[in-house]
Amino acid sequence: MTKPNQQHKEWGTSYGEMVWHEFTRSKFVVIWLGFIILLFLLAIFAPFLANDKPFVIKIDGRQHYPIFRNLNAADYSIFLAATVGLIQILLICRNHRRIDPSIRSSVLWRQVFIDTLIIIIGITLLYVFTPRRLDATDYKSMVASGKASGAVFAPVPYGYGRTDLKVREQPPNKQHWLGTDDVGSDVLCRLIHGSRISLSVGFVAVGISSIIGIIIGAILGYSGGKADFFGMRLVEIMMAVPVFFLIITIVAFFPRSLFNIMLIIGLTTWTEDARFVRAEFLKLRRQDFVQAAVSLGLPLRSILFGHMLPNAIAPVLVNATFGIAGAIFIEAALSFLGFGVAPPTPSWGQMLSLGVSTTGRFLWWLTLFPGLAIFFTVLAYNLVGEALRDAIDPRLRKAV
Amino acid sequence: MSENGALLSIKGLSVSFFTEEGVVKAVQEVSFSIKKGETFALVGESGCGKSVTALSIMRLVPEPPGEIVGGKIMFGGQDLLELSERQMRNIRGNRIAMIFQEPMTSLNPVYTVGSQIAEAVGLHQKKGQSEADAKTVEMLRKVGIGDAEKRANDYPHQMSGGMQQRIMIAMAVSCEPQLLIADEPTTALDVTIQAQILDLLDVLQEQSGMSILLITHNLGIVAERADDVAVMYASRIVEVAESRSLFAEPLHPYTQGLLKSLPRLGFSGRRLPTIAGIVPEPLHFPSGCKFHPRCPIGCNDKKCRNIEPRLKEVRPSRWVACWYAPGYEKD
Repeated sequence: MTKPNQQHKEWGTSYGEMVWHEFTRSKFVVIWLGFIILLFLLAIFAPFLANDKPFVIKIDGRQHYPIFRNLNAADYSIFLAATVGLIQILLICRNHRRIDPSIRSSVLWRQVFIDTLIIIIGITLLYVFTPRRLDATDYKSMVASGKASGAVFAPVPYGYGRTDLKVREQPPNKQHWLGTDDVGSDVLCRLIHGSRISLSVGFVAVGISSIIGIIIGAILGYSGGKADFFGMRLVEIMMAVPVFFLIITIVAFFPRSLFNIMLIIGLTTWTEDARFVRAEFLKLRRQDFVQAAVSLGLPLRSILFGHMLPNAIAPVLVNATFGIAGAIFIEAALSFLGFGVAPPTPSWGQMLSLGVSTTGRFLWWLTLFPGLAIFFTVLAYNLVGEALRDAIDPRLRKAV
Repeated sequence: MSENGALLSIKGLSVSFFTEEGVVKAVQEVSFSIKKGETFALVGESGCGKSVTALSIMRLVPEPPGEIVGGKIMFGGQDLLELSERQMRNIRGNRIAMIFQEPMTSLNPVYTVGSQIAEAVGLHQKKGQSEADAKTVEMLRKVGIGDAEKRANDYPHQMSGGMQQRIMIAMAVSCEPQLLIADEPTTALDVTIQAQILDLLDVLQEQSGMSILLITHNLGIVAERADDVAVMYASRIVEVAESRSLFAEPLHPYTQGLLKSLPRLGFSGRRLPTIAGIVPEPLHFPSGCKFHPRCPIGCNDKKCRNIEPRLKEVRPSRWVACWYAPGYEKD
């Protein structure tokens, strides 16, 4: 901002700004938030960071752009979602300066709705219209044999699905910085592409579980009495079942696909959210402003989700950050046990499981690097979640 | 109390709370009616059942543990107690509105005051966003909030208690209700602000012709503002009268005691008279007339101790429930 915005001053500090200020007080947390953003960038730009196809190559005197030609629908979908997300973040910043606080939330909701619409329609169209290409050309051997020239490869010039039995089970070396696995795929490349799986599992699973948890918790907490009593007993029965074993059992019956895993994790981990929301709603439902809303004749939907939920959303958000870490962990564990996504799709847990080869050798690089990736990602989400919880809790907030 | 011209008439309303310690009869056989355009005051000590009566009219008694066990609440030709929840929702806010005791907690902290008023307007008057916003600003002006366009964008915490109560009033009257229930609207406010708020209610009443049910424990407010008064004691109405005649000649010993214990201008030196004893616990109401242990007449009277007097009309528009009130038929 070049000139100080007069209106901005008059609007005062919003709740969001207050939480953000408190959240960023600790530089330690900002570093971990940076780490998560870095992971996102890795996931978004994975095909440009690790790919066995070159950006540019000259074959028979003609320029080719194999990476861009070979991007598939999933890649385009991720780019689309990332672009929309980035634009939305910029819009939020702009809203803050330009839009009046009273309508800011409704504007935000409208924008988010439009974003979701764009993403859903965009992804559908992309999957329908992107041609499936199977370019099995070995550009590297073409370069080596002199058929092609002027090739510019990605920093990690290997494909995650490429196998090369000549270089299988190699420890880290100059060609393969983090070594290779049992079929000769580059570990670093698979780590980078694996971050996509981890992040998407985290977000989609938590999204599903939060929505279920909020709806069930809201209804139980608001209705109270017998419905609440029996409902909570059911939720407690759900909680008593060891989720991980339940997931393993369910996964065994369904085809191994990423979407199934997301759905199953989401459908089994909503109990915490339901309990948080119910507790908040029990507290809120006898509050005067809720009574006032009822006495104004507002419909139940508006009372539950318009007036009560915004006052109860803080613990859900905090729990969501922990939930993302949990979902990443569950996915890694499932893949480790062989219930996760099927190869060649890379996943950190699945790579970890290759640490002991069929011949009984311990391949330390296959255990250490994916293990560290899981460890730091889970740690980052937990630390950020904890900082968010502290920032939201007004009792811990120092006088501003 | 004539039936003609009554906007709301309550007949034999009883509300009980079924708690673990026992049944609390919070309201018993309460009857009164409110005429169009009048201010009807319901007076009584804390815990005597005033607020529960008000909540019953709105059908907001928390169930469980509460339950409306009997009676009728006739409003516009229909019994509110027999309406479905959906029909009731149409009446709440639209035809009967309510102002609560604590303005500080009665507004949703996460929305601006303007959007809260606009939501009710949009819902009941089927107005679009821009129309509702315009109406909101108009209402804010009406309740005396300066710079209304700007203040509509304020959050509740940015306002003082008096302003918040004005907002509550604006919200309640925005849909032009026929009856406004004000549950101790000034208890949480300064005395100077109290007068302003009550003046505001008077002005709004004059403009729209709505009736106001004013619930209070402040007899000063009643004397100044109310047309009719009902005095409640321990879950029952003990006396109903026109405000003026009640203050001129209270008939029930409880009302007499209340009026005697008011400080008067020029009264000095001695301690104020009080009503002896304490308010009975709702779980262990005394037998017979509930006021008898504290009553100068009834404490030794066998009849008062054993038989509860019912509310009876002793002279035109004066109702009382006391065996010894002048004109009370002793059957």
